[in-house]
Amino acid sequence: MDVVWSKHLTAFAVGEVLIVLEKQREIAYTTVMTTLSRLYDKGLLTRERDGKRYLYSPKLTREQFLESTAREVLDGAVGGHRAMAMLAEKLSDASADDLDELEALIRRRREELGQ
Amino acid sequence: MTEGIFPLLGAAFVVLIVLPAFALLAKAGLVLLERDEAGGILHHLNLRYLLLTGSSVLPLAWFFSAGLHQAEGDKSAYACLFDHEATLCFEPGLFALTLGLVVVFLSRSVLRGLRGARPAHGAGVHVLARIEDVLAKHPRLRALRGRVVVTDEPGFALGTYGWIQPRVFIGVAFAARLSDDMLASALGHETEHVRSLDPLRYLLLQFALAVNPFGRFLLERHAARWYAAREAHCDREAVIRGALPLPLADAIVHAARPTNQQAVALGARDAGVLKFRIGLLLAFAERSPSRCCDRGPSAFSMSLVLLLLALLSPHETGTAALDALHTGAEQALTYLWP
Repeated sequence: MDVVWSKHLTAFAVGEVLIVLEKQREIAYTTVMTTLSRLYDKGLLTRERDGKRYLYSPKLTREQFLESTAREVLDGAVGGHRAMAMLAEKLSDASADDLDELEALIRRRREELGQ
Repeated sequence: MTEGIFPLLGAAFVVLIVLPAFALLAKAGLVLLERDEAGGILHHLNLRYLLLTGSSVLPLAWFFSAGLHQAEGDKSAYACLFDHEATLCFEPGLFALTLGLVVVFLSRSVLRGLRGARPAHGAGVHVLARIEDVLAKHPRLRALRGRVVVTDEPGFALGTYGWIQPRVFIGVAFAARLSDDMLASALGHETEHVRSLDPLRYLLLQFALAVNPFGRFLLERHAARWYAAREAHCDREAVIRGALPLPLADAIVHAARPTNQQAVALGARDAGVLKFRIGLLLAFAERSPSRCCDRGPSAFSMSLVLLLLALLSPHETGTAALDALHTGAEQALTYLWP
């Protein structure tokens, strides 16, 4: 879904996702096809027949998808005693990997968008 | 004995029965609002805030005002409290005073926790000059002019303090790690906190939870969700007003990274909220967000109107509930000590 959203793919075939993913790593056509089929089964993609192939489209934007998952994410929010507004709470050292991962994700997206 | 029982039993009844009952009602309302599947947990921010704080503040305001109103007896409340000849108004006045003292006692943990960051010496001058440059380049940040304070407090990142005139505090080391884009975007996020007087709002919320004996038990999780949704809302507003989503996301991750001097452990669940905010900002980089989730400043006018109604209604519509409480307390005494 990250590829679909970041590349703004609409009405795309398996091959178009494959071209993007192949630039990042070695991946088989059948793997991409199976993944898209599963995303369709989960209701994240719609599809329609175009001759012998399917053309897929995202059902939700990334923002809509995140909003639909907001409940389970924010359900785990931890309270705090504060009377101030911080940009972000400091996290424990245990989550350094999470922060590294997020930084890498943002860096990659900035490179993609040339920012 | 009879004269003293109403102020004590009445105040205990309000704190131990009335406030928890209102908290239960507020919880029911919050559950219904948060159940809305189309991002309900991110929306209705003002209404949810009103339920969280109003469930404690409004009944307290009403009973306090009703006590003072009954105490008037054609005299001022001051006279009722301190003029011993004004026997008719002694009990309700003492009730209001007792209620006030109980509220101060219960909220002492909130009052103790209030403190600001320490301004910087020396090294902060260059950072402040850089921030002033950034503010001058971005008209959307004009609300922050003269309101940014640099602090050399170890490990401090970025936050807004101050109830009536909030100021943004920024750590010297944190500012040095940010590019100008990141700094401008992060300040854009804080601008929303300043515009909406969030430190005051957060203080009132903490106060409301503290004075209600069941407040934390019943409402703390809803308050935590509200805080998280509010931060995500400030990210959105910052982007709508021109902040760059990816530099803002970068600044948030920088701010979340603990330094060696800090020993803070909020648990992995908050990392989930952080990832959620970053995910939304990535989405905003792909597609500009539209305004949602209630405008911040309107919450205050709405809250103020309700508070005024709670304070004035005993004077306009009578104090039947307080009368019932008064007679109930005295009848209870006759049952306990016939």
